[in-house]
Amino acid sequence: MKRINCLFIAMIGWLPTLVFAQKDCHAMLFGTVTEANTEETVPFAEVFIVETGQGTVTDDKGNFVFSELCEGTYTVTCQHIGCSHLSTEIKVVGETNLCFHLQHESLNLTEITVHARPIQLRSTQAERSLSGDALAATKGQTMGDLLKTLPGVTSLNTGSGIVKPVIRGMHSSRVLMLNNGVRQEGQQWGSEHAPEIDPYIADKVTVVYGANSVRYGADALGGVVLVEPRALRSEPGMGGEVNLAAFSNGRVGVASAMLEGKMKGKLPLAGRLQGTFKRGGDLHTPDYFLKNTGVKEINYSAAVGLEREHWTSEVFFSQFFTDIGVYRGSHIGNLTDLENAILVGRPTDDGAFSYEIGRPLQRVAHYLFKAKNSFETGTVGKLQVQYARQFNRRGEFDAHKRYGTLPSELDKPEMLFEITSHTLDVAWEHKSWRHFTGSIGTQGILQRNTTDRGGLIPDYNSQTAGVFWIERWRKHPFPLEFEAGVRYDVRHLNIENRGNEVIDKQLDFSNLSGTAGIVYKLSEQFDIKLHWGTAWRAPNVNELFSDGVHHGSASYEKGREDLVPERAHSTNLSFNFDNQRSFTVNFSLYRNVVNDFIYLRPAAQPVLTIRGAFPSFAYEQTDARLKGLDWSAAWKPIAAITITSGASLLRAWNKKDDEWLTLMPADRFQFGLRFSPKAKNGKAEKANAPYVKLGVEHVLEQTRLPASYPDFAPAPSAFTLFNFEAGTTLYVNPKSEIRNPKSLTLSLTIQNLFNTAYRDYLNRLRYFAHETGRNVSIRLKYSF
Amino acid sequence: MKNLKFIPACLLLGSLFFTACDKDNDPVNEEELITTVKLTFTEVGGGSTEFSVKDLDGDGGSAPVTDAITLKANTAYTIGVEFLDESEANHTHDITEEVAAESADHLVCFKATGALAEPTIGDVDGNGKPLGLESALATTAAGTGTFQVTLKHLPEKDAADPCSTGNTDVDVTFQVTVQ
Repeated sequence: MKRINCLFIAMIGWLPTLVFAQKDCHAMLFGTVTEANTEETVPFAEVFIVETGQGTVTDDKGNFVFSELCEGTYTVTCQHIGCSHLSTEIKVVGETNLCFHLQHESLNLTEITVHARPIQLRSTQAERSLSGDALAATKGQTMGDLLKTLPGVTSLNTGSGIVKPVIRGMHSSRVLMLNNGVRQEGQQWGSEHAPEIDPYIADKVTVVYGANSVRYGADALGGVVLVEPRALRSEPGMGGEVNLAAFSNGRVGVASAMLEGKMKGKLPLAGRLQGTFKRGGDLHTPDYFLKNTGVKEINYSAAVGLEREHWTSEVFFSQFFTDIGVYRGSHIGNLTDLENAILVGRPTDDGAFSYEIGRPLQRVAHYLFKAKNSFETGTVGKLQVQYARQFNRRGEFDAHKRYGTLPSELDKPEMLFEITSHTLDVAWEHKSWRHFTGSIGTQGILQRNTTDRGGLIPDYNSQTAGVFWIERWRKHPFPLEFEAGVRYDVRHLNIENRGNEVIDKQLDFSNLSGTAGIVYKLSEQFDIKLHWGTAWRAPNVNELFSDGVHHGSASYEKGREDLVPERAHSTNLSFNFDNQRSFTVNFSLYRNVVNDFIYLRPAAQPVLTIRGAFPSFAYEQTDARLKGLDWSAAWKPIAAITITSGASLLRAWNKKDDEWLTLMPADRFQFGLRFSPKAKNGKAEKANAPYVKLGVEHVLEQTRLPASYPDFAPAPSAFTLFNFEAGTTLYVNPKSEIRNPKSLTLSLTIQNLFNTAYRDYLNRLRYFAHETGRNVSIRLKYSF
Repeated sequence: MKNLKFIPACLLLGSLFFTACDKDNDPVNEEELITTVKLTFTEVGGGSTEFSVKDLDGDGGSAPVTDAITLKANTAYTIGVEFLDESEANHTHDITEEVAAESADHLVCFKATGALAEPTIGDVDGNGKPLGLESALATTAAGTGTFQVTLKHLPEKDAADPCSTGNTDVDVTFQVTVQ
């Protein structure tokens, strides 16, 4: 009866090497084998992975290592002379660092305890993720609001319903969004066009900072947002989740449900159905209602997947529908109206609550179909093929119908844009060869854009093709890791007509993107990353050809046909410290130089129309330099208390005109105090143990404004907001499985606790109204 | 089990069938613009003169062309306002009818400077509030000035200054000579 204690520490380095690499083959398993009674390490013990046939022997310190494993479930055995054969099944999932503590008597395993804690992402880029509790606390809000909780991310708002993420000062088509591995092809060009993604679909949201075009495709000058649903079920059975949320401001109700399952037997299909319904009415500032700011959203998705020994296959389909009311007071006729509105700065009466969504409004539909297959190519690698089709329809209803509208056309939008995109990604990922892992691939996009009503931008077709190759060198336990990649893209635009005006132009763009990165791992707790990336973006069709009045800002926007592509060079240096117990720091310094940066600049002469004068804006190019720092830290002086701090600073300079760039986020600081009485130091906190949290956010006044052209109104003053959050798990079924604990959790959030009246510089409606006031929300989640 | 290997290929092929439903472009619907504002000044008991602002190519392009208004001193006039779409060469749409039909949602505002006094609105909307398509004006001594005409959509007619509320659909300013 010899008792043996085998301690395996599994370390899974997870690299999002491919655009759609959800299953990775860069996992690593390493650990130590020790003797239970003496705690002494056991050299020359045999460790063997049954499925892959890989085996190794522990070194003189009892250590063993397996590298370049694919994610999945493995049976790992361990044996040694004088010690019985020991076997256990380990589920190796991307972000889990598993630490096994096995107690072994004779041949029977009597007890297995699994401790899980998040591992450090080892990508060479600076990136931050949101998942678990932190993600759950934001559910029910827009995708943009959710991303704003990450350092360096702010938002460009049109009221409170239309929220676009801004990563280190860049937004719209300079930020790429990948929804479930598919490049989101919506109407990203517009600054009042929010991403068309259901936040409830996300199990994890990651922001990758800086130019990252090699992996994710051209245009990603400012950063990439990865929205990942959770992987399909791997064990047979059924499970699900019901989420309910209610918000006091706007009297918003959200219901979201998910059902997943996997069949047993010969055809082990796994599937998931998910749907969300959201309805809200007029929002309230501390003093008055914002007329026509309701929202209606219905989304659903379905996924089916099959996983076999040498290939996997997955089909995904989702639909997203929303109606968003645009604050009635923001729609203006001309410059005089704008001046009148700014003078008052708020609606003339306090208004009353209503769920009605009238004009002006946006009605958006987005459909996504995706089929993904991956095949093992012998023992050397894996081939992934993904096809996606997206269809986006955006209708914009003006404040009032135009004159001469036929009665049959009354409920039709004044502007209607449609995009149909087909995306094909093929990539081959090779397994470790002389410590190199990497992938080579190609991407093709066909797109048809039509402006069916309202000729703001022309109809056009675009064809994009790209090839990339990226390699990474890692030799465990050598402290340095290197990564480099290159990509070449071509884009052809065939511009047809704008309204009834024939343009008929062919435009071609092509260019290189590159990336290089180093990770220096000083210790298990501390690493330094240096990343350089270069990316380019072809000018958008609205930048080239738009010609018309923008009623949201009373401006006349004129495109320029001779714009050249933008080129970004971004450098990021980040320091990440995590002592796995009580102290975490992430500190990033960045510098992003964008040559031929396209921006809207006011023209000297206003445009005269029969509706009066409109300030005229034209697209211009300059060389921009954006530099700044992001800081976030968490400290646990005692187990029950967590103190967090964060800061995001940005300096955006127009190099040609020697002045600041317009519309850049002001510096902001965060501070948080979290109290969780049941937390224990050094141990991963149980999900949703009772906690209360107080957060403070202070945003400075944006004083760095361009000197050569004035804004319609001065930048709003600094503000401080307080937020409160509390949550607990009401019930857990102790017998339930780990993946889906049957549980009921409840949380309460109060945003803008003291009902502060403020305006945000990056809200396009700041001229007309304040930001929303106090918002109390309750979230209930039931998992089964 | 063997035929399972065809599933990925089938899925990929099947997905291609989803691609064939692109709707081609609808013709762009023609909505009416206001290209012309026409003022008819009628002498009480006398003849009438028309003055207009025209911007036939819509926003952008050529700037609007505005007539100069010449009026007689010490004369009473009635003013009629018309809004027209003359963007099509052979067909004029009269938008005044639509403004009159939705009279409660519209208001014509006037602002005069210099030698001109402000006109008095003579007509009312469906709720008995001022509308402004018809108004009266009396000139006094000779001189010069400006005359601004705005068409407001969805104004708050009960507000202290209703002309500073609502959206502006028309905003034109004439130069005036009273002689």
